[in-house]
Amino acid sequence: MSAPSINASETERCDQVVDTTPIPLLQSIQAHGRVWEDLAAQYGVTNPDPPWKITLEATCDLLAGDSCVKPYDQVAPGSCALPSLERRAEEDELSATIYEDVPFPERQLLALAHSMIKRGLVDEAGLASKMKEVEQRLNSA
Amino acid sequence: MSDHDHKPAPMVDEVSDFEILEMAVRELAIEKGLFSAEDHRVWTEYVHTLGPLPAARMVAKAWLDPEYKKLCASDGVEASKAVGVNWVTSPPTQFGTPSDYCNLRILVDTPTVKHVVVCTLCSCYPRPILGQSPEWYRTPNYRRRLVRWPRQVLAEFGLQLSPDVEIRVGDSNQKTRYFVMPVRPEGTEGWTEDQLTEIVTRDCLIGVAVPKPGITSNAKRAVHPAVHPVHHDHDHGH
Repeated sequence: MSAPSINASETERCDQVVDTTPIPLLQSIQAHGRVWEDLAAQYGVTNPDPPWKITLEATCDLLAGDSCVKPYDQVAPGSCALPSLERRAEEDELSATIYEDVPFPERQLLALAHSMIKRGLVDEAGLASKMKEVEQRLNSA
Repeated sequence: MSDHDHKPAPMVDEVSDFEILEMAVRELAIEKGLFSAEDHRVWTEYVHTLGPLPAARMVAKAWLDPEYKKLCASDGVEASKAVGVNWVTSPPTQFGTPSDYCNLRILVDTPTVKHVVVCTLCSCYPRPILGQSPEWYRTPNYRRRLVRWPRQVLAEFGLQLSPDVEIRVGDSNQKTRYFVMPVRPEGTEGWTEDQLTEIVTRDCLIGVAVPKPGITSNAKRAVHPAVHPVHHDHDHGH
């Protein structure tokens, strides 16, 4: 017997199935990227989350519309690139399948990149190129 | 004598592929006009200010002040103002946000009724007053099983409830967020608001733990996968 639910959820449907075909760029990161829990242990850092976790959350929020930072009357219609409910459903699906062995929040990040590529919001080659540029910048000191 | 004799705090001294990926995704989204760099900065700064302390303080205040407890039970948004959280004007919009909807309900436990919070649909969470949700709260395993077998799931968190305690599950959604006001534990007589605040952990506020003198942090949880395929068909309601 289930517990009484205080407030029935909004019954928005979200049944689309995300394409879980692996993406080579993300597979490579999954295979070779060092996750925060390993880095933190190696360097003796006690912060349980990587510093980029909050910025990742902000990216997810803003892809769901700039209504988190703008008054309603300034939000452009159709400005939502990736609705949060769809993103979370896809993250659940991807987390249970191809990114199952990746810890959180790295898994959330891979799922977001996967969803964006599959939806054509970014393309794999463009993302690979941008990653090289970012890597050179970060390692230029 | 040097001013720099102290040992620096440890830091991760390498750039990971995941850090690079996070920056690359964000910068590409900005280049493509999906959102602006300024909006991202404003929202990130706001989210950085959030954590569970305001909600913990509300509980402590309510334990000490019956009138405030009544306000918490009847109007969580109004009661939040006493700890500096205004659900309407605190977010950058100055109008609340759809993703953290301005309807907070505080679920008041009694010796015979225990509340616990979930979001069966995704991972809705009262961020303005609790900060970011923990990993296990987001997992389909917790979300599915809590509504079906709450007593067993709470027992897995170490919370063994007597059979005569009724469990009520608050299912968060787009319109309503919840947190739990647990019963004040024995052994805290004469404590100050600050002392009481310390034992109201994030897990107590979600409802998977109850406060105990001497316990001021959350237990580390194992995360379990869901065995069955993920389907998001919620037409049949809860």
